[in-house]
Amino acid sequence: MRLSQSSTGLLLIAPAVALLLCLTLYPVMHGIWLSFHAKHSFFPGQTFIGLANYGFLLGDPDFWSSLWRGVIYSVSTIILQIVLGVAAALVLNEMFPARNLVRGIVLFPYMIPTVVAVILWKWLLNNQFGLVNYGLVAFGITDENISWMGRSYIMVSLILISVWQFFPFVVLAVLARLQTIPHELYEAAKVDGAGAVRRFLHVTLPQLMSVLFVVILLRSIWMFTKFDTVWLITQGGGAEKYIRTLPVYAYLRTFHFYEAGTGAAIAVVMFAILVASTTVYFYLFRRDERL
Amino acid sequence: MALRCLRELTTSFFGLLAATAFLATLLGSAVAADKVVRVWHTETNPQSQKAIANIIQRFEASHPGIKVEAEALAWGDLEGKIMASLAAGSPPELSHGQPITCSALQQQGMLLPLDDVVQAIGEDNIWDQIKRVCRADGKYYGLVHAAGTSLLIYRKDWATEKGVKPPKTWADLLDNAKALTMDTNGDGKTDVYGMTIPGDNLFINIMMGELIKANGGGLFDDKNRPRFTEPQMIETLEFWKALTAYLPPGWEGHGYRETFANMYGQKAAMMFQGYGRGASLIEQYAPKDMQSTDHFDVWVKPHGPSGKTPAAQVDQEPWMLFKDAKNPEEAKAFLKFFYQDKNYLEYIQSVPIHFFPITKSLRRSDAYAATPMIQRWSGWLAAQEHYLDNDLVKPTMVVEWDDLNTKPYLMQILGSGVLRDMVMEVTVEGVDPKTAADRAQKKAEALVKKAGFAKW
Repeated sequence: MRLSQSSTGLLLIAPAVALLLCLTLYPVMHGIWLSFHAKHSFFPGQTFIGLANYGFLLGDPDFWSSLWRGVIYSVSTIILQIVLGVAAALVLNEMFPARNLVRGIVLFPYMIPTVVAVILWKWLLNNQFGLVNYGLVAFGITDENISWMGRSYIMVSLILISVWQFFPFVVLAVLARLQTIPHELYEAAKVDGAGAVRRFLHVTLPQLMSVLFVVILLRSIWMFTKFDTVWLITQGGGAEKYIRTLPVYAYLRTFHFYEAGTGAAIAVVMFAILVASTTVYFYLFRRDERL
Repeated sequence: MALRCLRELTTSFFGLLAATAFLATLLGSAVAADKVVRVWHTETNPQSQKAIANIIQRFEASHPGIKVEAEALAWGDLEGKIMASLAAGSPPELSHGQPITCSALQQQGMLLPLDDVVQAIGEDNIWDQIKRVCRADGKYYGLVHAAGTSLLIYRKDWATEKGVKPPKTWADLLDNAKALTMDTNGDGKTDVYGMTIPGDNLFINIMMGELIKANGGGLFDDKNRPRFTEPQMIETLEFWKALTAYLPPGWEGHGYRETFANMYGQKAAMMFQGYGRGASLIEQYAPKDMQSTDHFDVWVKPHGPSGKTPAAQVDQEPWMLFKDAKNPEEAKAFLKFFYQDKNYLEYIQSVPIHFFPITKSLRRSDAYAATPMIQRWSGWLAAQEHYLDNDLVKPTMVVEWDDLNTKPYLMQILGSGVLRDMVMEVTVEGVDPKTAADRAQKKAEALVKKAGFAKW
């Protein structure tokens, strides 16, 4: 018996679809199911409680403050990553001695494991013996050591570390696009009397828009759900309360409060926020870019 | 031709299958010969790991057929890993854990008693204080690996210079902290702070347990309702707030190691949450001429305005034997071997000032007394002995011994950070103690209710 062409096609994609369902759809659906239950994180048994977990979150000040901190963290890191990443890519697109070496160095933060990056920065930012404070005091920028892991500066530290760690991704994507922009466009702009700034605004930036569209989308999702960097900064000291973002709060609810249902509800809310934001983002920008 | 090919293929296939089956049987019987005892512990320092490795090596040599696999885990990873392994039905044979974790798991029926091990050591040979940990229905569900109490460490040289006396009350301690907050070079800026404490969740919880006990209060009542709005707690929060005037700026971001760095780095004069293992850090990092009790000594902790006696925390994680463990008898055999004086001494000597032996025989032995570090820091050990012998110390979050068996939600309260957030609101954010206590009360009530322990 010969299978029809369409049946053969379906048969061939079946393993991939099954894998996708098992690894993606099932955990998501299980998470949603869990969010309607009161369940201890490790012991068996659960009770259906409908929307009670969501109701609890609505009245939970810690949930709202975590959401707010998460928004501050993700928006500020994304803006800084894009600005720094595009600027670095523009520089690295120019010809200068040891360009390849510098390109490698710029990519370094993105290649090292997060735990190494965080430990490194925690040493650099140590308020008593850190190199950063030593430099700031030595150059007269501050009179006294700054407590980078204390309440006032821990969010700043987190943002700086995250930007340092993740801006190379933007560099990589933008640099790849910059190398494909035809030189003729710049030459034509020069002939029309455009200076460097106008050439950037009217040639480079429009050419980068499609890449930036994707980069901003990906980085927004990744920064909003970022857990490891935030969590590691507070291990062994660090004012955790002041950088507690939603992923961290979901983890705390699940593994420290042992409330798997509440943790799942937070994860579902994060998922909903991301879906809504992505939809709006696509609605606002996609048409122009014809993606 | 095709038929011959097929026959050859079939012969080869079955030959390969038979060989594989034979090898698998051989391998299987070889693997089955060793019974594995998996051990999780929290002593991540190299000396303790080496001591444990040596004990295991000797145990395996004297117990053929048993293999011990030890894994050192950071405190932060342990609870989650234990819970996940229990949920998966594959816990290790033995693990360290907080006393409150041990009691909570015992009440869930997840632990096996260690009475055989206690009998092998000799029940009378174990200090009474130790025998209270994780004990239920007359059985020992946990056996402490070593005890070490928290200590109020101070700079003896500076205290003598300033004429500062041992504090009896919190008011005395604040006076001392004020006197020891110093501008040493006359530039108008503070160079030495009177006190250093860690700001991370675990240590805030530990300190809160100590302070509320030392102020005659408690954390939860008999009906499991939080007691955060009671006067003793408000006084505790007010004391904590007053203490912050003498703490280094940004103390809330300091970890335990940083507070020790503040001490041996000449930045702080007192440390409220010190431990015996700090003596090793002082010997490693303090200036050579200062590595002694002439410079770093300990005081007994003071009590609060509503309390009468000092209180401290004892770091005494018990070994737990899990019900679902595959080789419980072998695990008990390992523990019996571990507590034999020769082996136990090697373990204790890996952190001699913090690891207080649980056996009287070892504590009284000449070999223990001859340990050089013990001779150098005898004052620190005397303070710990004073706390232990007078029952002035309790495990983390435990205010009365009964709490271990009646309040299985303490582990969740600790992990939730409710107490830490309350302390931060008062000390760092400037929230009024009553307002912060009221908020924490509501959060803790919700947590206890959700966990199903509310009886009010």
